Amino acid sequence: MNIRFMAGLALAALIPVLAYAAAAQKPVLDAYAVAAKAENTGFSGFSAERGKVFFLAKHDASSETPSCTTCHTTDPTKAGQTRAGKDIAPMAVSKTPDRYTDAEKTEKWFLRNCQSVLGRACTAQEKGDFITFMASL
Amino acid sequence: MRKVWAGLFAGAVALLGVGVFGTQRVFSANAGPDAAYVKECSACHIAFPAQYLPKRSWERILGSLDKHFGENATLSPTALAPIKAYLDAHAADSAMGNPRILRDVPASVTPIRITEMPFWTRAHAKLIARKAFDAPKVKSGANCIACHRGAANGRFEDDD
Ligand code: HEC
Ligand code: HEC
Ligand code: HEC
Repeated sequence: MNIRFMAGLALAALIPVLAYAAAAQKPVLDAYAVAAKAENTGFSGFSAERGKVFFLAKHDASSETPSCTTCHTTDPTKAGQTRAGKDIAPMAVSKTPDRYTDAEKTEKWFLRNCQSVLGRACTAQEKGDFITFMASL
Repeated sequence: MRKVWAGLFAGAVALLGVGVFGTQRVFSANAGPDAAYVKECSACHIAFPAQYLPKRSWERILGSLDKHFGENATLSPTALAPIKAYLDAHAADSAMGNPRILRDVPASVTPIRITEMPFWTRAHAKLIARKAFDAPKVKSGANCIACHRGAANGRFEDDD
């Protein structure tokens, strides 16, 4: 078969996947919105811009992991690396569509990584902002 | 990069000689790890072979996952149970293990790193001397798979 035709087919197959990506994260985001309202009655939605600032921020709870970017790099569309040298698939939903679709997995990693980097749990607001940022890329 | 590794391997093989190859069976960790263990313990590094540490070491590691080598790797008790059972049944001092892995490890010592086990430091003595584990592509001795491509399947004997 002709290569261009194959490439076309592959592209056509990708389009619905991309369009679907943000919707796949909706249940997890909705749950964080409910939790955020419970944490703060003034809650007014999630913001990709705030999520970006949070993602790039440096903290001083740990010298080994001062920032989310220590492992996820400053470009979420690129693969990251653990401290033991293993690749981490990109955090951006456009690159890794099944991110933030398994609530249990997402919550497990927020729990660990927020403790490692911030020395405390993240708020539902921070989690929702983070995912909103990752879904906007 | 392959060339560099080929050189490293050739060097290490020359140094370690037939001795290492003669014992490859001894070190081969060939029991297939189970799904729960691989799922939870292979996100940050390979799921290390259960046979390379004694039971008491795995217990200590699983008992302190909130402070795991400078990171938080906490698991729920439900997720932890099958992992503990698997590691217990396949540790160096289990029926599946090989006592030679524990050579020169006093019973009073509980190592928490494979890379600090005497069998490991012996097998990698030349690489340690050359600081091969500091290379950016390797980052750490714990990054077994950077050099042993079959590491995730428990294969360390083949030199590719
Ligand atoms: C020490 C390395 C490291 C640091 C630092 C780190 N992460 Fe991660 N993170 C990982 C690894 C490893 C995974 C799991 C890999 C995978 O799912 O592919 C992960 C997964 C996640 C997930 C799960 C995504 C999903 O698929 O549902 C979230 C959410 C996350 N990280 C958020 C953060 C946030 C927020 C920070 C900063 C506060 C952070 N991480 C810092 C290593 C790190
Ligand atoms: C959140 C990331 C993360 C998870 C999940 C994780 N580890 Fe680790 N582990 C690390 C880091 C970081 C190191 C230190 C690596 C280094 O020194 O290069 C490490 C090191 C180790 C070592 C010592 C390696 C050596 O130097 O010989 C063992 C053994 C180990 N982990 C076992 C486990 C087990 C068992 C699990 C599952 C219960 C697990 N790890 C899950 C991050 C993780
Ligand atoms: C920097 C590269 C490198 C890293 C990282 C590395 N090794 Fe090795 N390893 C070697 C070389 C080279 C040899 C010796 C060559 C040979 O015997 O095949 C060796 C030998 C071994 C042997 C002896 C093999 C035999 O046939 O007797 C074992 C077992 C082993 N490594 C396990 C590990 C484990 C487990 C890890 C991770 C905790 C690891 N290695 C990390 C390069 C590495």
